[in-house]
Amino acid sequence: MDVKKLKSRLASVTAVLYPLLFGVVLIALWQSQILHKLLNTTTLILPLPTRILSVIKDNLPAIAADTWATVSVILPGLVLGSIIGYLLAVFATNSPRFGATGLTIIAAISAIPTVALAAVILQWTRDVSTDVDVRSYVMKLIIVTVVSVASMTLNAYRGLTELKPFALDLMKSYAAGKMTVLLKLRMPNSLPYIFTSLKVSVPACVIAALVSEYFAEKITGVGRRIRECILQAQYSTAWAYIVTACVIGIVLFAVLMASEKVVMRRRNS
Amino acid sequence: MLSMVDMRTDVEIMLKDIGMTYKTSTNTDVTALTNVTMNIHKGEFVSLLGPSGCGKTTLLRIIADLLTPTVGEISVGGESPREARLKRKYGIVFQGAVLYDWRTVKKNVMLPLEIMHLPKKDCEERADKMLEMVGLKDFAKHYPRQLSGGMQQRVGIARALAIQPEILLMDEPFSALDEFTREKLHEDLLRIWRKTNKTIVFVTHNIQESVFLSDRVCVLSPHPGRISALIDIDLPRPRTVEIKSTPEFTGYVAQIRSSFEGI
Repeated sequence: MDVKKLKSRLASVTAVLYPLLFGVVLIALWQSQILHKLLNTTTLILPLPTRILSVIKDNLPAIAADTWATVSVILPGLVLGSIIGYLLAVFATNSPRFGATGLTIIAAISAIPTVALAAVILQWTRDVSTDVDVRSYVMKLIIVTVVSVASMTLNAYRGLTELKPFALDLMKSYAAGKMTVLLKLRMPNSLPYIFTSLKVSVPACVIAALVSEYFAEKITGVGRRIRECILQAQYSTAWAYIVTACVIGIVLFAVLMASEKVVMRRRNS
Repeated sequence: MLSMVDMRTDVEIMLKDIGMTYKTSTNTDVTALTNVTMNIHKGEFVSLLGPSGCGKTTLLRIIADLLTPTVGEISVGGESPREARLKRKYGIVFQGAVLYDWRTVKKNVMLPLEIMHLPKKDCEERADKMLEMVGLKDFAKHYPRQLSGGMQQRVGIARALAIQPEILLMDEPFSALDEFTREKLHEDLLRIWRKTNKTIVFVTHNIQESVFLSDRVCVLSPHPGRISALIDIDLPRPRTVEIKSTPEFTGYVAQIRSSFEGI
């Protein structure tokens, strides 16, 4: 038992240690410009880590504002899209005839690249508001929402329909109605699948938000800054925003993993 | 051997000429059950015994209104199985315990009571009582995964009894358990049965199990599924494990085993 415990603790330590070690080695190679030789590039295009850090430090208020602009699109879009996706899954579960077709259509829609989607949605949202801020925000929000719908629908549908053998018979023997089955059996059963979906859609939403900013009228957000800076050959600033984008992605994913651990702890004990 | 006329007035489940035919994917008919006629009496412990493919589970599911027979008549306490199901006269114990992972042991037992919209206090009290009866009072707050297979099946029994059904339907409930656990659960089940006076229909493929538990063993043979013998088990009650080494017990086992020869 103790050996087992020790082993699992060691595993959790190494799970953090190895990526960390990899990161340290990478940064060392980068800073010492060995990486530049390997990649056959210059410090102009790939600035040194110390340089990137000093840019971040000097532009902290601006970066913070852009980070907020991006995160305030990601989170509401993710929540909205996931709710819509879940409701679609519930609908598909309750009307199996529509279900199979609907899911296929949703899977097909999800294969459309964000870039193509963005252009179309930009057209749609032209007349939403006279305020450019609102117009741009709505456009970005819709893109992130659409991106998160499909993974939730497909995963939640599995969670709502892949039940233990006899679980439905049990409900039937209690003369339980459709609604009771949904609330007492299907929805709790789908909880782990919701996390599976979010693990896909959180990174997808981060990328969708960054890309959607490229197309928005208003010049704001981490993604847009990366593009603008690269166009103006300000590579150090561009890299400062790239690092910021990575941090956003990592933090959101870490929060997701932590909440999964808390929520699922009791089931897996 | 099959008496068509039952003179007893306390018939709980009446089955008459029940037949069940499935259509397979290749559109051929498969007869799962044919000509099943028998009465099960109030408070009786009846086993449906047979090898796989004999239709014993199908028969149980027909009684439970989880399947509708293609031919024949069935009544449960003078009503249709559907009416009986909607009145929650059945408590079913499945082969796997079918517990909900996200609910504690006690909450699992409370599930059917919640569905019946009983006041929360009554749910809790009844669940506590049931858990005490199956000897799991101290595990109320545990989650199913923390329990052994035998304990999970006890929770399944507690949950089935919680709705105070008139009939307990058990579908190979102990088949996945080891011999020692099974023997313990046999004794517990008989104790609970004596205390609650339920009618029990017990599906099994284990001859010893059926003889040990039952008042009557309904032997089914396959291809097509049909009753090949109805055997009264006149062993004294209460029964304990020791009875298994008596000549009477082994006699019944031998009699049933011989009825399978030539199948």
